[in-house]
Amino acid sequence: MEFHKILVSVTGTEIDDEALRLACRLAKKNKAKIWAVYVIAVKRSLPLEAEIESEIKKAESVLDRAQSVAEEENYEVETDVLQAREAGPAIVDEAAERGVDLILMGISYKRRFGQFSLGTVAPYVITNAPCRVILYHEGAT
Amino acid sequence: MESSWHPKPGDKVFRPPHIKGYRLRRVLGVPALFSAGYGDVGSSIYYGLGIVALVALGATPIVLAIAGIIYIFNALTYAEGSAMIPEAGGSASFARHGFNDAVGFIAGWALMLSYVATMAISAYTIPPYLSHFWPILREPVIGTAVSMGIILFLMLINVIGIKESSAVNIFFIGMDIATQLTLVVLGIILILLPHPGALFQHMFGPGNWPPMQNLVFGVALAALCFTGVETVSQLAEETRQPAKKVPQAYVMMIVAVLVLFAGISIVALSAMTPQVLGDPVNGWARDPVAGIAASVSAAISPEKIATGITSKAELVIVLTWVLSWVRDILPALVAILAATILLTATNAGLMGISRLAFNLSSHRQLPATLSRIHHRFRTPYIAIILFCLVSLLVLTPGFFTTTFFADLGALYVFGSLLCFALAHAAVLGLRVKNPELLRPFKLGWNIRFKERELPITTILGLIATTAIWIVVVVTQPYSREVGIGWMAAGLLIYSIYRWHAHLPLTHLPKKPGEPIL
Repeated sequence: MEFHKILVSVTGTEIDDEALRLACRLAKKNKAKIWAVYVIAVKRSLPLEAEIESEIKKAESVLDRAQSVAEEENYEVETDVLQAREAGPAIVDEAAERGVDLILMGISYKRRFGQFSLGTVAPYVITNAPCRVILYHEGAT
Repeated sequence: MESSWHPKPGDKVFRPPHIKGYRLRRVLGVPALFSAGYGDVGSSIYYGLGIVALVALGATPIVLAIAGIIYIFNALTYAEGSAMIPEAGGSASFARHGFNDAVGFIAGWALMLSYVATMAISAYTIPPYLSHFWPILREPVIGTAVSMGIILFLMLINVIGIKESSAVNIFFIGMDIATQLTLVVLGIILILLPHPGALFQHMFGPGNWPPMQNLVFGVALAALCFTGVETVSQLAEETRQPAKKVPQAYVMMIVAVLVLFAGISIVALSAMTPQVLGDPVNGWARDPVAGIAASVSAAISPEKIATGITSKAELVIVLTWVLSWVRDILPALVAILAATILLTATNAGLMGISRLAFNLSSHRQLPATLSRIHHRFRTPYIAIILFCLVSLLVLTPGFFTTTFFADLGALYVFGSLLCFALAHAAVLGLRVKNPELLRPFKLGWNIRFKERELPITTILGLIATTAIWIVVVVTQPYSREVGIGWMAAGLLIYSIYRWHAHLPLTHLPKKPGEPIL
């Protein structure tokens, strides 16, 4: 499998580092371009353009961390912040617009009502993505 | 590495200090816009018909038609304005860009009044529809208490920020349109066509035609049935290709609303007298569509209709069973749908007011307190709580009387007509002041005035909304006192805030390089 453009969705969880390292290793073969995106989800009681300071600061620190991880892997990553109502459609739209070959997402181990849960974003992306999707799971603890 | 991203028309790009790119993701298309807008306007017939009939009596279909024409003017003006200025502020944004911050505030504050009134009316109308299952909800005290409970519940879920499902909304909108169409078709077949004289008698018979003052006020109140233009405008900022999709959504709304409302009002006045339709105590003023459903059900004679369709015994039995089921289920279905749509409308009003408050606050037209975000829930909790409390206050007279809801309608009319008039004026003002601005949806039918093109529909909309607003203010004491009091309080808050922040009343100082729009 060859990848020339990779989109990595980062959310500020521990799994982001591993997902980015995987992306860098996959990208090295063909010198692919990597974008790390953080999506700020805005509640419907706010305008979409609302600037939420706390979220912006969190996005900054998550993307700073993403760039550090990429540097450790001797690779360059372009970071971007998106603001949308929901993360899933934002990621899929971004992937389609940039024409990426691969969406890579880290999945934390979550349980809902006693069962492992992928959440809402990953299933949406898998269902609607215009390209390959890799879900990187940290494993049950 | 070179960036391959390019902004599209309507994209908004922010550049906070450390982040390279920060972009809005627009996801809404025409179906989502239509369902949001229709959810607003489609709910208003569930109370608007009764309020209008209370005042306009037999002239109800005619005042609805006149208000429908004004609605078309409003929708067209908003289509141009929203395509040109796809922001969350709606008419407040148009007025701010067209004139100045003070006029933008007046439009926004008037819009807030209409949102508060819409929330109160929508919540107030839910118990009468649910009284199909629990008759005690018709009692003023219990009904008002339930309405207040509904607002408090919505306040809580909006402070927490529970996601609503757009798929569920679209489902209920579809069911609502289907049910209303069914009522219209069945009403025409079973009530109007067998007794065509009844409609004429109920409209023009002795005691059924209103005096001129009521006729004009009826046109104003009929504006209550044609909401939704602001809702779509406020969603423009998250719509894909807003220049194209927003006008399309407006056109779809105009067609759907006019066809359904014309049909519903004609069927209503075929089925019952305007006095029964407009009676808030013993009639159907607070749940007019339930009255239509009851009349249509009563007109269904399953066996008679079945034998009229076919002579085959087995088919008659099946058809009789099906028609009996339709007759029995129709009132219950309308009750459930009405309650659901009205709950959605109340919630939409609350979200609209919180977004608008945030928008005004972020443009320094209201104190920053109103745009404070909850650290955990990430919602504008102060704005949500404050305006819910205002809605509860507005509902308080409901404990003592059932006729006050016509006053609620009058309050809505005061706010909405003022903000529609300012929206028309702002679009005209931008045609004069900034004719070179990109107008992705430019209204046709223009007249030329000093080398400027001015759309006729906007001019007529401005004249109509301003004239009716003036008539309402002059003739309706409740509208005048509470409405003007609200506006005065708002202007006082605005003036004090701007003075305290050392800001001019009309314009914020522009930052170097900041574009006009």
